[in-house]
Amino acid sequence: MRSDSIPKISKDLCNKMLADLENARRPILEAIKCSLDNSNYSPKVGYLTPGDKKVRTELNVSSVQKMSRAIFLLEVLLRNIDTGAVNTKRELYYIAKGEVKHDPHLKPLDFQDQSESDSVIDFICEMLECYREDLNCYANDRGGQTYSNQLVVTETLPDGTKAVVDLGSLGTSPFQPKNRPQSLQLKAKKKIDFCLVVESEGTANTFVANGFCKRNNSILIGAQGVPSNAVRGWAKLIQDQLKVPIFFFGDLDAYTIQNIYRTLKAGSAASLIRNSDFSAPDVHFLGVLPEDIKKYDLSDYPVKETDVSEARALKKAADALKNDPFFQDKRNKHLSKLLEWLLKNKRRCEQQAFFMVDPRDPTMPEKIIVEKIKKGIYL
Amino acid sequence: MAKDKITSSSTAEYFSKNLQQVGFSSPTKAVLTTLKESVDNSLDACEEQGILPEISVQIEKLGVGTLKNTDLIRIKVEDNGPGLSLDDVPKVFGEYLASSKFGRGRCSRGQQGIGISAATTWAQLTSAKGVTVVTKTKTMRQPVQVQVAVDIKHNKGLLKEKKDGKLKGPHGLSVEFIIDGRIQLQGEGGLITYLTGTALVNPHLTLHYTLPEQKTITIPRVSNESPDVPNATEPHPHTMKLGEFIAHSHLFGRMALKAWLKKGFSRISDNSLAEFVKNGLDKKMLDLSVDKVSETQFKDIFSVIHKTELMSPSTKSVMTIGEASFSKSVRRLGEVDFFSVVTRRPSICDYKPVAVEVAVARLKGLSKGEGSDDGPVQVLRFANRVPLQFDKSACAMVKAIESVNWRSYGLQQPKDSLPLGPYVIAVSLVSPFIKFKNASKETIDASDELVEELRRTLIQAGQRLSRHIKKEHREQDLENKLRYIEQFCPILVDCLCRITQAPDKRKKKATEGLEKILGRDLTVAKKEFKEADLAAKEAAAKGKIQIIKDEETPEESPEENTPEVEVVEKKAKAKPKSAAKAKPAAKGKSKSSVSKEKSAS
Repeated sequence: MRSDSIPKISKDLCNKMLADLENARRPILEAIKCSLDNSNYSPKVGYLTPGDKKVRTELNVSSVQKMSRAIFLLEVLLRNIDTGAVNTKRELYYIAKGEVKHDPHLKPLDFQDQSESDSVIDFICEMLECYREDLNCYANDRGGQTYSNQLVVTETLPDGTKAVVDLGSLGTSPFQPKNRPQSLQLKAKKKIDFCLVVESEGTANTFVANGFCKRNNSILIGAQGVPSNAVRGWAKLIQDQLKVPIFFFGDLDAYTIQNIYRTLKAGSAASLIRNSDFSAPDVHFLGVLPEDIKKYDLSDYPVKETDVSEARALKKAADALKNDPFFQDKRNKHLSKLLEWLLKNKRRCEQQAFFMVDPRDPTMPEKIIVEKIKKGIYL
Repeated sequence: MAKDKITSSSTAEYFSKNLQQVGFSSPTKAVLTTLKESVDNSLDACEEQGILPEISVQIEKLGVGTLKNTDLIRIKVEDNGPGLSLDDVPKVFGEYLASSKFGRGRCSRGQQGIGISAATTWAQLTSAKGVTVVTKTKTMRQPVQVQVAVDIKHNKGLLKEKKDGKLKGPHGLSVEFIIDGRIQLQGEGGLITYLTGTALVNPHLTLHYTLPEQKTITIPRVSNESPDVPNATEPHPHTMKLGEFIAHSHLFGRMALKAWLKKGFSRISDNSLAEFVKNGLDKKMLDLSVDKVSETQFKDIFSVIHKTELMSPSTKSVMTIGEASFSKSVRRLGEVDFFSVVTRRPSICDYKPVAVEVAVARLKGLSKGEGSDDGPVQVLRFANRVPLQFDKSACAMVKAIESVNWRSYGLQQPKDSLPLGPYVIAVSLVSPFIKFKNASKETIDASDELVEELRRTLIQAGQRLSRHIKKEHREQDLENKLRYIEQFCPILVDCLCRITQAPDKRKKKATEGLEKILGRDLTVAKKEFKEADLAAKEAAAKGKIQIIKDEETPEESPEENTPEVEVVEKKAKAKPKSAAKAKPAAKGKSKSSVSKEKSAS
């Protein structure tokens, strides 16, 4: 959806609500249900798409607060679109609090913490079926630091002017993609062989410092954990515009496969309406693979089931095998088998374990990665 | 052949080396157990003689104890009981397993005669002094003071330093222990928890207590009736095992089987005998002399008896606090909002008669910890009217509480856990034979039958309570809805009109429409509240809910007032007139509700 169509759709929606009220009918707000039970996956599409389920909020005494808050914040967001102002979610939280402060009649709408206003913003996006960025609301996205000696990025700025960034001229400094990749144009100065997304930003930085980008015609990205919208949109852009193979290199554990890698490849259930632009279906899982542990004699260790977060990750992985359409798809059987293996063996191996193969050779992990890519040892 | 000589040791020797088994496993527990044993003995003695107990407790620190990290503590308990003759004093305080109650099948607090002798032993081991006892019976001219020590080698009590003593009343007993220990006042194993708990399940008790650095506190009695300790009845055949059954026959000598069955057991009548015959017992066998009955025949008789349904064991052997007294006593727990009390008819669990009583009360004013708004409820456990304070999680009572779905009664409850909120759940189990998990009587064994019996009582209490909680929820719901309509209607319409730039005419019409829509919701909420209110009122009319509008002290409440759920609405100043007006309405009805409830259960 384009930003300029949002005011009209919003106005129509409010007009309908007002007309319903005039006729003493209960207005209903409908939004796409963003949850796993309303997610579909088709390997042809490549990412999770929403099903038919909708969340219907009918006006009654219990929902009048939610509905009032939604319309109140919609008015704030429409004003932003009108003036071209942009805000983060946190800033919107404070703007809402400021409105309440200056108009005591609005006091019942006051948000106690940011999570309340965030959920209302998400509800508005689901209702209008638009991206948060379309409402001029940008997250303070992390991750996505990119290094390359071949990549040139041209950014179209809001005023129409263009900025050209040659990543090769940045030295060891990264390029940080923004979460509106639609405004970027990519060009390769020289043929790029592959793009590598590394789970740990620190490890990606080490690779660059050790000369990874000098030796390989590549794009190197640090994901910094679960990929943010910026990372996901950026990977999609590289996939679509440069058509280079993309590989993900991260830990071998249930959390990485089920959460980090799945989100990068197919999006997430919580953002069903935006997965089309924020997932890179062609990305491959390069490792660490169970066979790498044997082949390179890597140090792995058992998952601590007493650790709350690790136990939760295992439970989520077990749930994903049962309920996640991505892992249930035949084409992703190799990934579901990997998850099953992790659940059965309850072991994990970190990406940094590649540094133990030859502790005196700092480029050994790079050598293994390049060898794996050349020999096609990935999922 | 073993080289070492096999020697035998006395009971006292065994317990002196294993005092941890009887409640002396830590300095804190030592103080509590000593106090507990002394108070239990006083209460038992008073009840035996029908005396309304008045007990004074004094606990103070005298200095540093001989054991590491302990204080030297003086524990003095004085009662107005019948006193002990000088001959009995060494047996009671210095001899293990010397008891007037062992195996008698009565619902007394003490049973085996271990606890108080263990306390004397602890005092002897830690301060090299036994217990100082002052006693006066009605027949004694003046109180006598003696010191009792345990002759550990021979399991005998030794009297020392006999002299004239002092007591407050015309008869009674005072014990003074000087021991090594540590004082814990609050919490699960705290002295205050024990003392208030004891007062709760003993409404006829007046308790004065002085704890270190605190003023003397008096908890007056709320019932002037001393509970009748029921005499032990003949055993119920369903409570016996085959071996016991045959052994029981030997006590009666030559007697016809039918006469023995009728005389030697409770709940066997001529009708029961006819039922036995119907269920396959040879009629001729009933005329046989008991001493002529073979073991196989005993086995047949025993199995027929167990197949036949008999009346439950006599309720006479099991004593209860009673809903009336328990109701009054609950209000001594603190600022009580409302509560429900249930006394169930005794039944058989694990072949033993048991009676369960439960009180669930909502309290005001607790901000954190157990019984606070967010914390788990406070659980008070009692076995034969003695508070149980340790090893809560393994206890049958806690298991039963966790098994009840309190959410359906309006309380919050995480899965398989204690419910949350400012409530106290007091569970009292009374039985002549309580199965404890250990000799220190801290936890009741969680058999399926017992947990089920406890659970049923808790459910009944929860159901009674829920009537009031539901009414409260509906009331809150209605209030919220009214507030929401008032607050959000104008905001929603204003925002919509600003976005659509609608004229004032539309705004007015939309406001009216919105009020109509929400008004419909309000009508539904009002109806729901009305129904809940009506249900609560109906319950009040039947004596199941009583609303007391003014400040009322427990003594002022009428003796015969036995509400199932009481709602205490406390206001700033007491107005005796209106309180008096409120009371009679529930008087007559409440009594009948108890009897109805009993017959229903």
